[in-house]
Amino acid sequence: MSTHAMSPLRRIGGLPLMPERGTASVFELALLLICAALVVVRLPQNIQDVIILTYLWAGLALAWNIAGGYAGLISFGHAAFFGIGAYTSTILGVKAEITPWIGIWLGGLLSAACGTLLALICARLRGPFFILSTLAAAEVVRIGALNWAALTGGPEGLAILPVPSVGNMVFASKHAYAVLMLGYLVVVYVAAKFIEGSRYGYRLFAVRDDEDAASAAGINPLLMRASAMGISAFITGIGGSLFAQYFLYLDPTHVISPELSFQFALLPALGGLGSAIGPVLGSFAITPLSELLRSYLGHAAHGLHLAIYGGVVIVVMLYFPGGIAGVLERFNRVQRKDRR
Amino acid sequence: MTTVGQLVFSGILIGSIYALMSVGLTLVFGVLRVVNFAHGEFLMLAMYGAWAITRFLGLNPYIAIVAVVPAMFLFGMLVHRLMISPALDKPHLVVVFATMGLSILMQNVALMLMSADLFDVPPLLGGRSWTFGPLYAKPELVIGFLVAVACTVALQWMIKSTYLGKAIRATVQDGEAAQLMGIPVPRIFLITFAGGSALVGLAACIMTPLFSVFPTVGLNFVLIAFVVVVLGGMGSIEGALLGGICIGVVQSLSSYYIAPAYGQMFFFILFLLVMIFRPTGLLGQKGTANIGIND
Repeated sequence: MSTHAMSPLRRIGGLPLMPERGTASVFELALLLICAALVVVRLPQNIQDVIILTYLWAGLALAWNIAGGYAGLISFGHAAFFGIGAYTSTILGVKAEITPWIGIWLGGLLSAACGTLLALICARLRGPFFILSTLAAAEVVRIGALNWAALTGGPEGLAILPVPSVGNMVFASKHAYAVLMLGYLVVVYVAAKFIEGSRYGYRLFAVRDDEDAASAAGINPLLMRASAMGISAFITGIGGSLFAQYFLYLDPTHVISPELSFQFALLPALGGLGSAIGPVLGSFAITPLSELLRSYLGHAAHGLHLAIYGGVVIVVMLYFPGGIAGVLERFNRVQRKDRR
Repeated sequence: MTTVGQLVFSGILIGSIYALMSVGLTLVFGVLRVVNFAHGEFLMLAMYGAWAITRFLGLNPYIAIVAVVPAMFLFGMLVHRLMISPALDKPHLVVVFATMGLSILMQNVALMLMSADLFDVPPLLGGRSWTFGPLYAKPELVIGFLVAVACTVALQWMIKSTYLGKAIRATVQDGEAAQLMGIPVPRIFLITFAGGSALVGLAACIMTPLFSVFPTVGLNFVLIAFVVVVLGGMGSIEGALLGGICIGVVQSLSSYYIAPAYGQMFFFILFLLVMIFRPTGLLGQKGTANIGIND
């Protein structure tokens, strides 16, 4: 990721081989080609389901990483933003017959407003205090959604009519959903990549690494934290709406659970925090793995696939704290030394 | 009037049990400056232990204390050796995510071994209540209250007066200086973490006659424990007792007067209000909330 990785051997056609800050790379383009190919190719339905989920979780992991990885705002409450987005577009669609193509943006904006508000409320809190506050805020949203039955349908949840039409954003073919999720992932990735290489991104990193030094250099930390949380919540809310359109059913226990919040945080942590490629690699490695383990081991022993997942989290965190992206970079650096 | 009195009384009793369950968390945070996200699963493990001893050996769950507490001490030592201690010198996120991984692991191993069924211990004294003037209480709650108060007093005394307590306080104030004075800081960390785990074991034996045990029981209680610990002031032991009692009373009153479903929401809102207006908690030290996990 550093600037002195510019040796000619490490570039192909003017692009760096491995991901770098602020520029596209051969690695990323190749990954995009594979992703696009997986969308087009004819695959069994259950594999397509895994692909759709993998793209969606990758986008959501990227969204979390903008707050958690770039700005250092470790949130265990992102399921609230996900749920707010999902419920907004669904309620507008079911009760007011507003097409999800509009509802999605409104859901995202409402999530963004909540995210900004949460960052402002928790302005003074750091470390575990911030983490626990986000967890508590998400619980307030979950219990609220569970009990405000007139609006959310309460514990029974809300269903979207499974009538395929482009206007309703409900599709009969899995291909269409795969295209939708890949589109979401690509847009979010480009946005994350753009933030990473921009002045704004560097300000976020500065606030994350040393807040006092950053504010001495003229950066307003509160503005940075609130905006990063807002952007992150906006993208998460949109992801929630897409999830609702794909799943066609919502209930508070599944859409706003603490487990979901942990998932949003663990994917980027396993993939590597603080870079755009990390969360994507995290989702690409973990989502198919846990879906496959679930389908193969789920019947044999209830909970085994998640037990393995928990074990993987511990090992990766203790021995590869940089995640998958950290391992790639270390490998990259070793090669670079060999070439000299 | 008697209704309010009864509600406050029950709230105080249940709150003291919340405090007992949280005191290990506050101790570990106060000394090691790490939050153990697997705290609830430690409780779950110990509750299964207490349940199994009651169920298979036919013993009273309070007698199970002699086995569960030392076992949880050893378990805490093991977790500290394998996970916490290697993570202490790494970026602070490592310990957060590693304990979260441990929580997922323990929950699902429990699901595999014990299934999702709820297990109970028969009530003591045939389920009769004790009367205190106009007030009623389950005997298990009264015993829990007495144990919680005794435990708080004993821990306070231990921290204030014994050599170990002084060593712990010195480590909290300045780890490097304490090390230079010959205090084995890594061992203090080990004892504190294992001690916190043993306290969870004690809480589990008190709670088993009151609550069913199932694989995700920890998740319900760990959220309460976080609220209690932050409300009382992280790292403050008498604060945890006060915080627990506040939560118990708030929960008991709001579930009676508003709706049981909203009871939990109220203490999360209370938690957020405390975080906004008094982030140090009721009895915490100034500035704690502005300190990062490892700073």
